[in-house]
Amino acid sequence: MNTRANTIATDGSKYEASARQFRGNVARDLANPQLRENFRGAMDYLTDKRRQAFPSEDELETLRRKCQLIKQRCLLKLPELLEQLESKLEQNGIQVHWAETTAEANTIIAELIQRKNGTKVVKGKSMVSEETALNDHLQAQGIECLETDMGEYIVQMAGEHPSHIIMPAIHQNKSQVADLFAHNIPGFDYTTDVDTLIRTGRQALRDKFCHADVGVTGVNFAVAETGTLCLVENEGNGRMVSTVPEMHIAITGIEKVVELLDDVPPLLSLLTRSATGQIISTYFNMITHPRREGEKDGPKEVHLVLLDNGRSQAFADEELRQTLQCIRCGACMNHCPVYTRIGGHAYGTVYPGPIGKIVSPHMLGLEATKDLPTASSLCGACGEVCPVKIPIPKILLRLRKESVKAKGEPLVVKGQGCNRKPLEAGIWKLWSRLNTSPVIYAIAMWLASRGRWLTPAKAGAWTRVRTLPKPARRPLRELVKQREQRREGQ
Amino acid sequence: MNSAKANILAKLKMQLPAATDAALPAEPAAAPEVRSPAQNVEQFVRLLTDNHAEVMRIKRAEIAASVKTLLQQRDINQLMCGSGWVDALQEIEGEISLNTFYPSIDGNKDTLFNSVPAAITGSRCAIAATGSIVLWPDASEPRSLSLVPPLHIVVVEQSAIYNDFGELIRKQRWSEQLPTNAVLISGPSKTADIQQTLAYGAHGPRELVVLLVE
Repeated sequence: MNTRANTIATDGSKYEASARQFRGNVARDLANPQLRENFRGAMDYLTDKRRQAFPSEDELETLRRKCQLIKQRCLLKLPELLEQLESKLEQNGIQVHWAETTAEANTIIAELIQRKNGTKVVKGKSMVSEETALNDHLQAQGIECLETDMGEYIVQMAGEHPSHIIMPAIHQNKSQVADLFAHNIPGFDYTTDVDTLIRTGRQALRDKFCHADVGVTGVNFAVAETGTLCLVENEGNGRMVSTVPEMHIAITGIEKVVELLDDVPPLLSLLTRSATGQIISTYFNMITHPRREGEKDGPKEVHLVLLDNGRSQAFADEELRQTLQCIRCGACMNHCPVYTRIGGHAYGTVYPGPIGKIVSPHMLGLEATKDLPTASSLCGACGEVCPVKIPIPKILLRLRKESVKAKGEPLVVKGQGCNRKPLEAGIWKLWSRLNTSPVIYAIAMWLASRGRWLTPAKAGAWTRVRTLPKPARRPLRELVKQREQRREGQ
Repeated sequence: MNSAKANILAKLKMQLPAATDAALPAEPAAAPEVRSPAQNVEQFVRLLTDNHAEVMRIKRAEIAASVKTLLQQRDINQLMCGSGWVDALQEIEGEISLNTFYPSIDGNKDTLFNSVPAAITGSRCAIAATGSIVLWPDASEPRSLSLVPPLHIVVVEQSAIYNDFGELIRKQRWSEQLPTNAVLISGPSKTADIQQTLAYGAHGPRELVVLLVE
């Protein structure tokens, strides 16, 4: 491991370090008024759009319940569905690859590209490829991997990561994008007109689509019944990268498989309405075969990489398994008071916001992400808007418990017990002893009230923003007793 | 079986001792919105128009003339189409140069990306609930026709408008016959990735013109 310390990791492990810096990142980003204004504006826009997309509360509730049950059914059948998906896809001519880790996924993809002597890759939006840090890995192998979603294109140009899973460049406003283009695109005539900015991006990227060797995309739903990969998008770049180059490689997490084609319409409707308030996206792209005999376009080879990266760990526990119901709409972050204030980069993880807090511990270990489950006021907004009813606040509490578990308990989450402090554990032990024995409790309360003058003025971080409460002059028991005596005396 | 696959499946299977989906409650059926065929047409047109598509309601005999007019309005004098459209558009050949798609996209990408201003395709059917057009590309009508040229003209039969996506999949038994690539299109390409400001023509067609045939 020492030899790796000096080189930048080109797989998902690079996020371990950034997640550890959560507290520092929060302080940094809270102090940036421009960033806070950008997020506030964007979140207000997205929450408003979502509200308008669900005019009927009853219809929304029925649809949420339906989709929750669809995802739960598919998860209960997950191993069989994955095998069915693989055999259907292979019948259709699409090759399937399995990867346990992000490094394995990157190796598989790089080898596929190198086998075609490919050097130019265009990529549609894929959060799973962010998980594996695919761009870094391919770049290190001398392969150009260009993001083509407008938001991702901006983020890549700025040398950043997406700050939101649906709208990756939401942390930048149009003048910041204009500045970025001015520095990076030769011949760009400075303007903050969004139409012109988009036209500039379009022009630069059309040439890339035209000459790319390989296209990489994510997957929104992988249908086991038919062996179909579904992509949801507005821009057309997902269609470009899966249509124009000779090879298309899709990468997705193992939880994206659905059993039936009939499961797709309700999930699609809930996804686009929850994400951007659209009743449907501009394009819904269903890929079932590579180019067939006689067809004039489309990729000659299509591959699917199925990535685990900690998902099987979440799967093992009935409560934590619900994390895998996620359809990646982003509604939880749009409605999160913490996310809106600190923004997406502070988390240091690929997935920010409430879903990031409950999914990242499985990918990066609880030790690297131990601050995330605690960075919540448990207001419950995320759970209320989640289209597939993931009880995010409950799972946050569960992860807090996992992080203070004692040594020797069965392993549930890698890194469990990382937040356990001997002093804190001792205090709680004492507290529970105190509260389960009436005699000890009475003595302790007597002592506390008589010794209240011994209460210190400061108690570490707690009193930085609070006053330490003093025990009452007399415990409640004594006051009640006195009152009874007074009554009897009357 | 490679080892990653074996390991992943073993981990997943180990965790499911006798758990079955039979224990789950029944999935509620969403009540479909009920619309008459006329209301379906109206909704389809309204949603597509809201999404910045131009919808022209025409008679079958007017297809060629409408194509000519809308191209001339845009100063476009060439159109790419699938082989199935050559006969139907013959009457405008003199004024609009008609090109059928190449034998293959390979080797022709540069011209397709840089020298084709407009393309026309048919459609398999449409969906009223979301204002979507279903494309089912095949050998005679390649998928890049509806994607690469900046103007996409699509012909939709009014009689082929379904109520919603779920109904369509079931009635047409899609699960038995999906093509290489089926696409739902609900407007011109767009993005709101820069400061939530909507811009059209992100990567796909800037303009979508729907010829709705009575």
